[in-house]
Parts: sequence; C-alpha cells; structure tokens
Amino acid sequence: MSWLFGSSSTKATQQAQAEPNPQFQFQKPANTIDSIYDAANIDDSTDDVLDIQEDQLSSIEGSQSIIPSRDWRDDLCYGTGTVYGLSLIGGSTYGLIESFGKIPQGASFKLQLNTVLNNITKRGPFIGNHAGILAMNYNFINSGLDYYRNKHDDYNTLAAGALTGALFKSTKGLKPVLYASGLCTIGAGAWCGFKRMYLNNDDQSAKKLD
Amino acid sequence: MSSTDHSREPCPLVILNDLGGAFVMGGLGGVIWHGVKGFRNSPSGERLAGAKLSIKTRAPVSGGNFGMWGGLFSGFDCAVKGVRKREDIWNGIIAGFFTGGTLAIRGGWRSIRNGAITCGILIGCIEGVGLLIQRANTQVPVAPPMPAEPLAA
Repeated sequence: MSWLFGSSSTKATQQAQAEPNPQFQFQKPANTIDSIYDAANIDDSTDDVLDIQEDQLSSIEGSQSIIPSRDWRDDLCYGTGTVYGLSLIGGSTYGLIESFGKIPQGASFKLQLNTVLNNITKRGPFIGNHAGILAMNYNFINSGLDYYRNKHDDYNTLAAGALTGALFKSTKGLKPVLYASGLCTIGAGAWCGFKRMYLNNDDQSAKKLD
Repeated sequence: MSSTDHSREPCPLVILNDLGGAFVMGGLGGVIWHGVKGFRNSPSGERLAGAKLSIKTRAPVSGGNFGMWGGLFSGFDCAVKGVRKREDIWNGIIAGFFTGGTLAIRGGWRSIRNGAITCGILIGCIEGVGLLIQRANTQVPVAPPMPAEPLAA
C-alpha cells in the first residue's frame, strides 16, 4: 500500500543526505563505514544508513500477530481483506444453501441456475460488505489506540471492538448501539483468545524444535 | 511495475493485502462521494440526514465493488505471474482482461467480451503511463569524475 499512502521511511536517507560536515574535507581519507557515519554526524546506535526500513516489522510492543505486518497500513489491509474475503465466502455459502429451498418445481436448468446465482449474489456481498466495513473501522480504531498507547494488548482489542460496534449502529439509537457494541466486544474477545491460542501453540512448537 | 517491487508481499498473501486495500479505498472514497451526493440531493433542512443515509447505504457497496475488483485483479495477477514466470506490463493487462471478463460474467458472452477488452485497455493505459513516468524519472547514470590522485587505501 505504499503506493497509495506514500512511504514513511525516508528518515534514514534524509539524515544521510543532511549537510556534510565541512571538516571532512580536511580529514585524512578513510573508506570505512564508521568514518562516513562520523562525517555525516549520524549516530550509529540509532539510525543505520543501510537499514531498509520498508522491510522492518512493526515494533509496537505486543503487536505481533499471525501474519507479519510492518505498520498500521499492513494491519488495515490484511485485517480488512481477510474479514471481507472470509465473510464474502461465508455469505455466499449461506446464500447457496438458502437457495436450494427456493428453486421452483419443474423449472428449466437456466432458471434454476439463475435462482441459485441470484440468491448467492444477494447474500454474499451484503454480508461481506458489512463485515468489511466493520473490520475497516475496527482496524482504524485499533491502530489508533496502538499508536496512542504505544503498546498493544487485549484491552486495546476489546475497546476497539466496542467502539466499532457503537459507531456501526450509531444512527439507530441507544439500545441498538449497546447491543452492537456488546456483540463486537465479544467478537474482539474471541479474536483475542484465538490469537493467544495460536501464538502460544507457535511458541510451544518453536520450543519443541529447540 | 515493470520490475519486481520488493516492498510487497509474496504472492498468495498479497491478494489479501490488495483485497483489503481496495476495500478501504472504495469505502473511504464512497463515504466522501456518497456523502456529497446525498447532501446535494436532499432538500434543505434534511441535508445532513440525507448525507448520513446515503453514506450508510452506499459506502459499503462502493467498498465491496472496489474490493471485489482489487481482489480479483490481484488474484489473476498472481496466477498470470505464476504461469508466465516473468514481470512486465503484460501481466497487468492480462489480469485486467480476465478481471473485466469475470466481473461481467452474468451478462452473457457479449458483455464478458466487452468488459474484458475495456478493462484490459484501461489497465494497459495505466501501465503505459506508469512506464512513461518511470522512464522520464530515470536518470541516465553518469560515471563519477575521477579523482586526480588515487585515494590512499
């Protein structure tokens, strides 16, 4: 997604191009990396000229998840894409199963096929779109909370779920807001549990390998 | 896009990434687009309510349409890359051709053909413009001036 939102990783190269120390002209030439660092006033311990920051994984504490992600844009794209894709498939399956009861008796093959396809395209995109919007809001709020608190834990996820549900039904009145918020919090909690289980299993298998 | 973009994920995962990215783009764009549309098409006094209703009903659909397009395109792009085993602008054009055809699949052969050709040409234009921009931005490498004396090692 860096083509869409622009790249945020120009820090290192900008520092490298910052005005060179004029004293460098009079120093004895040395071709080691360290002398170049000294000449450009780069603190070696924090920034690395050769560091390709595009490929760095996210460094927010506790944000490591199932798919490796570099920043909030990756989280957003992967989260939304996964939820949208899965619920599209799920909704389509639901529409397919539902359509079997609706096929008119003695109809031609073309009519039967169109009944099934119409039902699939009615249910699938409807469920997929709404789940996708929920996931998009959830990921925006979650990443915002991560950024604000500078760490990621279960409270973040639960709070993001609650806010997402509230936002989703925010035009319908207090009671639907509370229901939706509660449901989304339960969903976020389930996701927390799943992630914890998955990551723990991963750790255990890694330990076994060691 | 004529060379491998190393800032992107390997192939099966990039489909999810593109699906989500396109959905977010369509959703946010739909919020703006249908917000303005609903605002303008409502009678005065109900403009905000009209904008809200329009966003609520239309933005998910717009996100879904964009997401469907992006996901299909990315999937076909990966498939074409896997078959051709090379990276050039034809990948995108072929993937766009298939995407346009797939999206028009309910409309019969005629509409599949038209959709596929339109989409392929559109992607071809985009890729062509990208190639031109890339070529214009590429500086011809010039050999650095040689120092008068060789550096002490």
